[in-house]
Amino acid sequence: MDLAVGPGEIHALVGENGAGKSTLIKILAGVHQAYAGEVRLLGERVDPYGASLPLSFVHQDLGLVDELSVGENVALVAGFPRQAGLIDWPRVWARAREIYLAMAVAPPDPRLPVGALSAASKAVLGIVRALARQARVVVLDEPTAALPEPDAAHLFDVLRRLRASGCSVIYVSHRLGELFGLADRVTVLRDGRRVRAAAMAEITPQQLVEDMLGRSLELHHAAHPVENHARPLLAVAALENAQAGPVSFQIGAGEIVGLVGLRGAGHEAIGRMIFGALRPRGGEIRLDGTLLPAGEDVAARIARGVALLPGDRGRESALGGMSLIENLLPSAAIGGQRSWRPLLPARERRRAQAVLDRLDVRPRDPAALIDWLSGGNQQKVFVGRWLEAKARLYVMEEPTAGIDIGAKFAIHGLLADVARGGAGILVVSSDFEEVAALCDRALVIGRARITSELRGPGLTVDNLVAHASIGAGAEAGAGASGGG
Amino acid sequence: MDEQVSTNERLADTAAARPHASGRLADLTAVYGLAVVFVLVMVVFGILRPNSFFSTMNMNAVLVGQSVTAMLALAEMVPLATRQFDLSVGFHLGMAHVLMIGLQVQQNLSWPAAAAIVLAVALLVGALNGILITRFGIDSFIATMGLGTLLYGVSNWYSGGAQITGLNLPASFANLTEVIGYIPLPAVYVAIVAVILWVVTERLPVGRALYVIGASPRAAELLGIRTKLYIGGAFVTSGLLSGIAGIMLASILGTGTPSVGPEYLLPAFASTLLGATSIHPGRVNVIGTLLAVLILAFSFSGVQQLGAAFYVQYFFNGGILIVAVGLSVYAAARRRALAAAGAGKAGAAD
Repeated sequence: MDLAVGPGEIHALVGENGAGKSTLIKILAGVHQAYAGEVRLLGERVDPYGASLPLSFVHQDLGLVDELSVGENVALVAGFPRQAGLIDWPRVWARAREIYLAMAVAPPDPRLPVGALSAASKAVLGIVRALARQARVVVLDEPTAALPEPDAAHLFDVLRRLRASGCSVIYVSHRLGELFGLADRVTVLRDGRRVRAAAMAEITPQQLVEDMLGRSLELHHAAHPVENHARPLLAVAALENAQAGPVSFQIGAGEIVGLVGLRGAGHEAIGRMIFGALRPRGGEIRLDGTLLPAGEDVAARIARGVALLPGDRGRESALGGMSLIENLLPSAAIGGQRSWRPLLPARERRRAQAVLDRLDVRPRDPAALIDWLSGGNQQKVFVGRWLEAKARLYVMEEPTAGIDIGAKFAIHGLLADVARGGAGILVVSSDFEEVAALCDRALVIGRARITSELRGPGLTVDNLVAHASIGAGAEAGAGASGGG
Repeated sequence: MDEQVSTNERLADTAAARPHASGRLADLTAVYGLAVVFVLVMVVFGILRPNSFFSTMNMNAVLVGQSVTAMLALAEMVPLATRQFDLSVGFHLGMAHVLMIGLQVQQNLSWPAAAAIVLAVALLVGALNGILITRFGIDSFIATMGLGTLLYGVSNWYSGGAQITGLNLPASFANLTEVIGYIPLPAVYVAIVAVILWVVTERLPVGRALYVIGASPRAAELLGIRTKLYIGGAFVTSGLLSGIAGIMLASILGTGTPSVGPEYLLPAFASTLLGATSIHPGRVNVIGTLLAVLILAFSFSGVQQLGAAFYVQYFFNGGILIVAVGLSVYAAARRRALAAAGAGKAGAAD
């Protein structure tokens, strides 16, 4: 595997999960030892495993301590300046300010607790802290995943200034759209090898995706015709809360609609308002023509036939330490049961077994604990759980995030089946490839509103990347369409 | 073609089953561990003290004496299923038994009337715990400790800090906890409550919801489980059972002593947690809890018959609590390790 990063450049490192990005970074960080090969810094051969290099790492979870101040967080990495053995607090504050100013970023009050900063300011602090060690190369691992769009743009600004100061940046990202206009060069990894190294100007998003996947991109749609119903299954009008909206759209029975945006665009909030997990500030939701009362909670919405598959599998779906039976039939509402009607173990077992067989979950043992399953198999169980609820409208957040390609296709197939059965599906996702492959229609969310609608042949990864990026503002880096 | 498919399936099945098979033995020992320990305790002390240990008197003494602990352990189990602590059960038990005696002696109420009041107060106490935790968001550890201490104050205030002697209590009240033939009535009450709780926790969606909340409150909410209602309900149940335990204790003792109560918390707690290491490892459960109470009671009784001093009881309860939690942590780690191995193999089969 090769990677060459020039001085003063932003170098993008892309690849699918498992392509070897993390391993490469860990070798550079000295966590793993390389079997063979060498690392050269400014032409000199170095060994990251033995010596510590002027490299700094900013991981996705920034490793900041929320309870401590900005200055203290910097000092935790850079060391506390001391006077007579005691911490020299004025210098702690001064140094934090200096590093910010060196990057031409307006420093926050260094005495402010980090918990009070916005997500973007935290990410910037993560970089500031990395620079406190006089790094020549900063490695950023998916730094914008949790950032709302304007904040990401702010972070990109900081990166450009960093580049201008002669520092190199290795930028790991799944969000190809944001690389255009930001990165100078890109290295694509696949199966632990470099498959392409190119200047960003010479490559298109489609090429990048094809390099990552190792095959030409087939933008196949579940192209079953959807007749335009006089009365749509779901009609949302002027729905809004603090994070999103107002938005208006409709979903017909049997339709799979993508609600697409870069993470933080506000599309998650829309799905959650429909499910009753978030209170809307205004607007109307109609299911089958019936106006849903605004104050309804999740239980009431489930009873009306709305389901939500949460995006955060570990925290919001998994019932750790519980069996697959219990994970498939966790509550009365989902099992189609009454709260006081006895559960019959043999019947539950048969029911769970049927779902496991249909979804090809490994192991196919209903008594296995959910913790024993791989991520993809767990996700199949959680999809299966909601299929048992026999809902009419499914809100699916990132239905295949972080799972292997086989399980991904299996879940896509399931969702297509569900839609054919007459249910409506709203796929809330930041995964453009998924939306392009799965959805009949996509609503692109940018700055909390619907900025465009793509359908039919126009629904491609490229178009989604372009539209999502435009919606997020040219600054976020839409290569071809940056002027739009 | 058909044969091909079935062969593939069989391969997949065996690959998936392999980690499970190696986990089976560990599972079996985990599931029946407490039952085995219980039998061992009975056999060992039965051999060491064959005449006294199995005597009807000893059996009844243990069963009657431990029925209060067992009832309290069951009370504790319900909120623990949702991973909420109820540290008020001991204090609550004390207050309930003081009230039960006091209302008869000082207010001249009949025992059913006094019992009705005690149970009403018990429901109120449970509801208060629930409200403090779900409405005001106070950590259950703090809320129940605080409310429990308040209850302790109430029973001391009501009794003036002195023991209330129930000299003229009706025989019908003392008979509530008598031994009929070979069967001690308190054990029967515990059995009835245990059966009801078993059905609720193992066979009703309501009980499953409690465990789901315990596994992940956030996931439970997104599954349409009204977590606040369930947690509140768990504390009301815990309060009610503590009140029943108080009535039993009053009937057994025949006096109301305001200092009694807090010392019941730890054995109840220890039993519930020890019970969670077995039957459904990693999860508090009715049968495990009862087995744990019996093991603690009979082994302590056995040690006593071997001539141990009274204070050994505290070593027992404290030691068991630490060992129980240690065991469950170890069991959980072991299962995780097995799970990781299982996931690896299942992944390889994909």
